[in-house]
Amino acid sequence: MTWLTQLFSRRRLYDELSEEIQQHLEEKIAGLVAEGMSRPDATRAARREFGNVSLTEEESREVWQWPSLESFLADIRFGARTLRKSLAFTAIAVFTLALGIGANTAIFSLVNGILLIPLPYPHPERLVSVTGAYPQGALVAMREQVRTMDVGAYAEGHDFNLSGQGEPVRLTATLVSAELFSVLKAQPELGRVFERGEDLPGKDNYVILSHALWRQHFGGDATLIGRSIELEGVSREVVGVMPADFHFPSTKTQIWIPLHNDPRSIPTYWAGDFMPVIGRLRPEATLQQAHAEIRLFQAHVGALFPWPMPASWNADVSVVPLQDGMVADVRVRLLLLLAAVGMVLLIACTNVANLTLSRAATREKEFALRAAMGAGRRRITRQLLTESVLLASLGGLLGLAFAIEGLALLKTLLPADTPQLTAAHMDWRVLAFTGGLAILTGLLVGLAPALQISHGALVDSLKSGGRGAAVSISHRLRSGLVVGEIALAVLLVIAAGLMIRSFWALSHVNPGFRPEHILTARITPNESFCHDTERCLTFYQTVLDKVQSLPGVKGAAFVNTLPLGGRVSKRSLDVENHVDAPGESAPLFWLNVVTPGYFRVMGIPVLSGRAFEDSDVSGSPVAVVTAETARRFWPDQSAIGKHIRLLDDKDWRTIVGVISDVRAYDLQHNAPKWIDGSAYVPYNPLATLENKRVPSEMTIAIRSTAEGSEVAALLRESVAALNHEAPVSEVQAMDAVVSGAVSAPAATTSLFVAFASLALVLGIIGIYGVLSYLVAQRTREIGLRVALGAQRPDVLYLVMKEGAKFSLAGIALGLASAVVVTRLMASELYAVSPLDPFTYLAVAMVMAAVAFLACYVPTRRAMRVDPVIALRYE
Amino acid sequence: MSKPQQRDLFPGALEMMILRTLKRRPLHGYALVQHIKRTSDDLLQIEEGSLYPALQRLLKAELVKAEWGVSSTNRRVRTYELTKAGAKHLEQEVSRFERMLDGITRVLAADES
Repeated sequence: MTWLTQLFSRRRLYDELSEEIQQHLEEKIAGLVAEGMSRPDATRAARREFGNVSLTEEESREVWQWPSLESFLADIRFGARTLRKSLAFTAIAVFTLALGIGANTAIFSLVNGILLIPLPYPHPERLVSVTGAYPQGALVAMREQVRTMDVGAYAEGHDFNLSGQGEPVRLTATLVSAELFSVLKAQPELGRVFERGEDLPGKDNYVILSHALWRQHFGGDATLIGRSIELEGVSREVVGVMPADFHFPSTKTQIWIPLHNDPRSIPTYWAGDFMPVIGRLRPEATLQQAHAEIRLFQAHVGALFPWPMPASWNADVSVVPLQDGMVADVRVRLLLLLAAVGMVLLIACTNVANLTLSRAATREKEFALRAAMGAGRRRITRQLLTESVLLASLGGLLGLAFAIEGLALLKTLLPADTPQLTAAHMDWRVLAFTGGLAILTGLLVGLAPALQISHGALVDSLKSGGRGAAVSISHRLRSGLVVGEIALAVLLVIAAGLMIRSFWALSHVNPGFRPEHILTARITPNESFCHDTERCLTFYQTVLDKVQSLPGVKGAAFVNTLPLGGRVSKRSLDVENHVDAPGESAPLFWLNVVTPGYFRVMGIPVLSGRAFEDSDVSGSPVAVVTAETARRFWPDQSAIGKHIRLLDDKDWRTIVGVISDVRAYDLQHNAPKWIDGSAYVPYNPLATLENKRVPSEMTIAIRSTAEGSEVAALLRESVAALNHEAPVSEVQAMDAVVSGAVSAPAATTSLFVAFASLALVLGIIGIYGVLSYLVAQRTREIGLRVALGAQRPDVLYLVMKEGAKFSLAGIALGLASAVVVTRLMASELYAVSPLDPFTYLAVAMVMAAVAFLACYVPTRRAMRVDPVIALRYE
Repeated sequence: MSKPQQRDLFPGALEMMILRTLKRRPLHGYALVQHIKRTSDDLLQIEEGSLYPALQRLLKAELVKAEWGVSSTNRRVRTYELTKAGAKHLEQEVSRFERMLDGITRVLAADES
């Protein structure tokens, strides 16, 4: 018999079976009656000798079934019926689980998109990242020498003016070596990618556009390929357009431009951008071989430089899979978030388990009855687990809906340059995760009542009318669950508390300047415009004069790198009487080029000496350093009157002032690790950068009482009148620049706070639920005590004692586990220890207060127990 | 999966007795159980109901076949009959059982000496 005919003939089989058994009984009864027994006696005797009719039928049917599947389906049908009967319970449980599962799914889709989904390039497992950073010269050497892989490099942070088509715009570019696209094996949507050799001088006048830019700015015109566009006053041929889902290194990039690998311009070639390098392993080569080869390369590449390279440069270079290399920064943050939502789900599980336990207690009689009817303990356990898995699956479905919303929200919350952020979406992995999570959740939730059933003396319960032996086990189980739940909530709230403290510290860092009422904007004439230094300086000075005459403007100044603006301007300096450590080159400084009013406009205090004056622009060369720099190079003496010199300059500069430290790199650091000091020089023909030219990209800072948008409009007008090819970009209030610097920790913190609040609320519901149940269970006992003369305070003590017991145990357990666990988040904390006593104390007190409130409501109900009603009720 | 309650019997004993009884002649369920009880002089405590899951198993394994008919007392009954495979299976089971019984008996006898 095939399974199909079996399935269809099943109904007939079962009917025949019932008929056969019925006939059996009747024949037996008839026989007994014939022997002289009365009919009722005969019926009883026949049934006794036959045994359990329904069990016999069930067992006979089971012979024909795929037993597990079919009784499983029956369990589901039965479970669904049970859940429909108690809608309130079902709704609460499903909603609670949906919150937990939804939050987990949303965070997991981020983890999935960023950490798990392979990079969207062919054979992503062959892509690697070289963890060091190399200038053009070293890259060229590497691509000629390395045999285990094809390498490509890219440099972010270069902007280009697009002009010749109405108002000039500033485009975010990524400079790439010619091989970068072929290393990734990325295919263009239109045209072609760069070819070998197209990053060499004279052959590099090309550009590739991002899909978004091509659509928005060029109207998706396919004939653009092969035509030229004006970038920085230089025309470049558009060779290709990348597809919409190509974002390398992040979504910010609008155009890709070949590197200009020119060995003759030594500063740029050997000391320009220190670029990240990626590679594709050649066939047969392994990651280990590539790693070994790069270590070897690193050992001798320093000798190629025209100056000695410090031994520490790229000393710990290694080759890692590209995905790991790109997401190293966000990994810890994501895993922390995943751990946090995991805890929220555990708490949700505990709550629903508790609810199920209360329900199981009221269903004890039902189970006892079913046991008496011949249902095995395992059968009942399975039924319970099926019910809870069904519950969790419903929760999972609703959770999925929450997660879709949540993910959209998360994507707007996280910084836009998070790598692979766009890859985060619902895919089969996320669905599988949610499904698995729902089943696991269901099993966890069903475990407690199932455990209780297998302990509980079911038949006893039938006899005792509902207050059987199972009650005490259930009580222990529930108390354990609530203690665990409170502990988890405490742990999460402490974690959130630490994040808040850290965030607060970070956002109250003194940046060293006063950001209020300052409008900033980047004004960038084409680079070639500034090849004529005089023209360049005059242009900026004219803009400054115009802006300062605008109504409401109190002051304005230019700077080449705005604090927290994401750019660093590095320059090697000679420091008078400073002996370089052996093997080290001249100290590397962050060179800020400013107009004289800069410190006043930005509100940067001058600690000693003086700020720049207008006369410094044309007078003898001067400089200003920050307090940290002064301490480092002239410890225990005044820096004023000391001398520094830009590398390759003839004249020494006299230090005329020391200013307070400025958090220029990020809110935690004044400068990157590899910078030795920060110096300021007035904007004049001597203020040259590494390329031996004065900076051609300046940011204006305008302190004004007028509306920002008005000032911006007037600024655009003034600039356009002077140079119609100089775009005004990145117009933002300095306040916004500062808050942008905390956007990543802000996102993490707010997520943690959201999860902790959820945990707190669920925890409170947990305590409240258990205590309410306890009071309901003991109404009779309390009534009896009151009847015997117990006073209200006695009752209060009785109930509160119970509540206090598990609240305090939970808080203690939570604090203890926090001591162990919060260590993992140390890297995400700023200026606060993972063991911050204030946070621990505050959280313990808040939790105690909240637990007290949650206990108080059921306690009041207990105190109002009327002994007469309580006793009569039974 | 709940196993049929064998009570005093070892697994497969009931099936063996059913096959042996059916070897003599086809019977319906009630007659089958009465025969087994009578023949064993009521020494075996068999719940009459436990016969049916056993019969279903034998049917499924195609060791017996069944047909609806009318009994001598004019009832609609399902009569079971041994198949060839059933007869062969019975032989194997009986010889296996005898070996087992032999073994048990020897052990018990050795205990007494």
